[in-house]
Amino acid sequence: MRAELREIIEVVGEDFALSSVDELKRFSVDGKTPRLVVFPRSVEEISEILKIAFRSSTAITPWGGGTKIGLGRIPDRVDVVICTTNINSVSEYEAADLVCTTQCGIQLRKLQEILRVKRQFLAVDPPHLEAGATIGGIIVTNDSGPRRQRFGALKELLLGIKVVRADGKVVKGGAKVVKNVAGYDIPKLYVGSLGTLGIVVEATFRLYPIAEFSQTCIISSPDIDALEKNVFAVLNSTVVPTCLELVSPPLLDRVSGHLGFDIPKKGYALCVRVESIQRAVRDQISRICDMCGGSNAKITLIEGGLEEKLWDCLINFPWKFLKDGRLACKASILPGSIKWFLRGLEQISSSLHLDAYVLGRAGSGVLTVSLESREDDSSLVDAVSLLRKEIRVIGGNLTVWDCPLSMKSRIDVWDDIGESIGIMKRIKRLLDPRAILNPGRFVGGI
Amino acid sequence: MDNWKSRFKHKLVEILGPEGVISSPDELVAYECDGLTSYRVKPLFVVLPRSAIEVSEVVKLCSAENVPFVPRGAGTGLSGGALPVEDGVLISLSRMNRILEVDIVNQRVVVEPGVVNIWVTNAVSNRGYYYAPDPSSQIVCTIGGNVAENSGGVHCLKYGVTVNHVLGLEVVLPDGEIIEFGGKTLDTPGYDITGIFVGSEGLLGIVTKVILRIVRRPEVVRTILAAFDRIEHAGAAVSGITARGIIPAGMEIMDRLSILAVEKAVQPRYPTDAGAIILVELDGPSAEVEAHVCVVTEVLRENGATEIRVARDESERELFWKGRKSAFAAMGRISPDYYVQDGVIPRTKLAEVLREIERLAQRYGLKVANVFHAGDGNLHPLILYDSSKEGEFERVEELAGEILRVCVEAGGSITGEHGVGYDKKRFMPLMFTESDLDTMYLIKCAFDPKGLCNPGKVFPTPRSCVEAGATSYKEHPVEKMGLGKRF
Repeated sequence: MRAELREIIEVVGEDFALSSVDELKRFSVDGKTPRLVVFPRSVEEISEILKIAFRSSTAITPWGGGTKIGLGRIPDRVDVVICTTNINSVSEYEAADLVCTTQCGIQLRKLQEILRVKRQFLAVDPPHLEAGATIGGIIVTNDSGPRRQRFGALKELLLGIKVVRADGKVVKGGAKVVKNVAGYDIPKLYVGSLGTLGIVVEATFRLYPIAEFSQTCIISSPDIDALEKNVFAVLNSTVVPTCLELVSPPLLDRVSGHLGFDIPKKGYALCVRVESIQRAVRDQISRICDMCGGSNAKITLIEGGLEEKLWDCLINFPWKFLKDGRLACKASILPGSIKWFLRGLEQISSSLHLDAYVLGRAGSGVLTVSLESREDDSSLVDAVSLLRKEIRVIGGNLTVWDCPLSMKSRIDVWDDIGESIGIMKRIKRLLDPRAILNPGRFVGGI
Repeated sequence: MDNWKSRFKHKLVEILGPEGVISSPDELVAYECDGLTSYRVKPLFVVLPRSAIEVSEVVKLCSAENVPFVPRGAGTGLSGGALPVEDGVLISLSRMNRILEVDIVNQRVVVEPGVVNIWVTNAVSNRGYYYAPDPSSQIVCTIGGNVAENSGGVHCLKYGVTVNHVLGLEVVLPDGEIIEFGGKTLDTPGYDITGIFVGSEGLLGIVTKVILRIVRRPEVVRTILAAFDRIEHAGAAVSGITARGIIPAGMEIMDRLSILAVEKAVQPRYPTDAGAIILVELDGPSAEVEAHVCVVTEVLRENGATEIRVARDESERELFWKGRKSAFAAMGRISPDYYVQDGVIPRTKLAEVLREIERLAQRYGLKVANVFHAGDGNLHPLILYDSSKEGEFERVEELAGEILRVCVEAGGSITGEHGVGYDKKRFMPLMFTESDLDTMYLIKCAFDPKGLCNPGKVFPTPRSCVEAGATSYKEHPVEKMGLGKRF
């Protein structure tokens, strides 16, 4: 074993390191197996490990719950995996301030349980909660869910962070109050950075109160035109939905089959969730039904346990239902282009014999698209390039979040970002001059 | 005018035409400070570009000659962020003031940096939309300046600050390159450069185009004014409201001195015998708002409100806000000069921090009026003084610094919306360690390795990118001649 690996084991102790081949395999990234996996118990230990890694140019892969480890290009090197799950305590929580500071190895599910006691929550609802998605992983992948319609993306909620830099220095940015403009907004830089600029170890969030009541209406539309009409009827009105998700027919079919409820599965559905005090929810839902009642739409109202199950199913699509030969991507377009995108997608998937499952934030234009091939994965590769061509015309981008390893060498999981890559590479070079953090996985090979 | 200077001016005129370059001392006076008038510096030249290409050409020239440059919007900033540098060029974006695109379907507006904040709302209000960030200076301040400072306003408690409404930027980098970051769509792959650029106080480059998000006007807006005998009770009411699960669009507190000042200035008919007043604005769907009005009224009463008024119509609502929005300027009615401080504390520390500020004010023998965004804990203590009295301003600065110390000790920040600029750079170490600042400086170096873009701001001590391995230092022509030294 190399000297630097032995040094790293000394930092955490034998009991908090894995080095047997079988154990290491479970922490492979795109088929590359690390030489060592460590479970530090403090920020100081992470700092010590990174100092050693920096000195010896040892490649580091930060690992939270490992639920989104498929995101990114195939890494150049994987030497040591640093698993953050032992750094998981809530550091400060003053409910009356609606602010909470927590260590980032904590699972989002656990954090929400703690906040629920005070009837508050972190307003982000990405997938993989049951599988153990951590706060750190959600920050660095900029993951989001349907509630984004009302509360914005994670960066809107993140007030401050503490990070261990590549050289082992522990630094912070932002603040622990809801409003602050002192210095650069460092937290923004780390959201979606895929662990390439440092290991995020602590985060301060603004919280929201849990609403007293919630109801969801599922509006089935016979075709894409009707769907679009309903989307804009809601967006241009004064109702304030928490979620405004469009669901494609195959996904609707799977979800309703799983939950065992009877809704028309032929066309697209728009799921609109409203959360507030009961009277305000009922009032807004009835207005939504009026607005979307025409055009042969059928409307189903749900609340309570079934409503929770529906959202849980939708959010965790496609990871729950689909087999390994799937491709999951995130397309970002404009709400006004949804119609064109869905038409293009229908054409592409029918010509390539693919099933397309779409769950889309209609208000923000961020759509999760999952494709399943009835043949081999070469049609998935074609689909990605065709979809990107389509998106280029309407403006936007497409990131592949998860795909069979065999595909990764044939496509770039990140879409082209033009000349702005130059400044990103300069930032990376200055903050991680030896390229030890997740080398090669991020955009442009960062 | 020495040789180098006149040659340099000639090159600027070649880029911008004679009307785009200001060099006469009389005209330069108008640009020697921003809203923080206690610091004044005359720049070498002021330039007024009309396009990104012109900005780029000016910046390229400055970079080639190692001349520093400072961007400026409307100059309403309160931290000296647009304070010129003596041997540099001030780039005013005031002529780049076109609204380039209004896209109601996608809720986006694309503007040039010199567009005034309120113009954006004016351009979309007939369609039922508005631009949410509303700093008090919104009828004059520009979007470019808002981007630089990450400006807030009275409604950011619910709707967020500028960064939450900027989706993309076109930027001239300090080497003259024109680049776009972000876009009309969300989640562009790569680092969130737009996010780091907003609030960077003009130190990373010059914004030449901004993609903004607009939002739907709420169905109903209700504004409640309540009077309290003591400011602590008003503070407790604020925490009480959020504790009931209500996030109002805005919550503002004004103390007795502020009430008296605005009553003299704009007669908003506030209860003048009150120790403090609180303004609570609720907006959203009517059923929700009406229910929340009841709860808020109840909480206000529980916390000892002596009088509660709910605005009956739009004109009364405007009157409620008129007092608040003119509070800074109104200080002129009760004091020859005033200094605006900007600090943030956790909401729950309001009462204790206000007591501490009062204690400090007495110790320094100065009067402090308090006007603040109570909902997000953003204090604006206004220190009243008389600049004709010798040594008084120095005492004001000392007290202002002490107030920031109190804010940071309470777990807060040295600035919530006015920025660090020139004024507060010395307080940065209160919040940030050397390593924290070093990280920020590495980012600065990634954008501006020569350190020419708005130098002397934000960072407490002079730094260079040489140690960071980003560049080698080159001298300014004046330095070469041995006439001066930049730090």
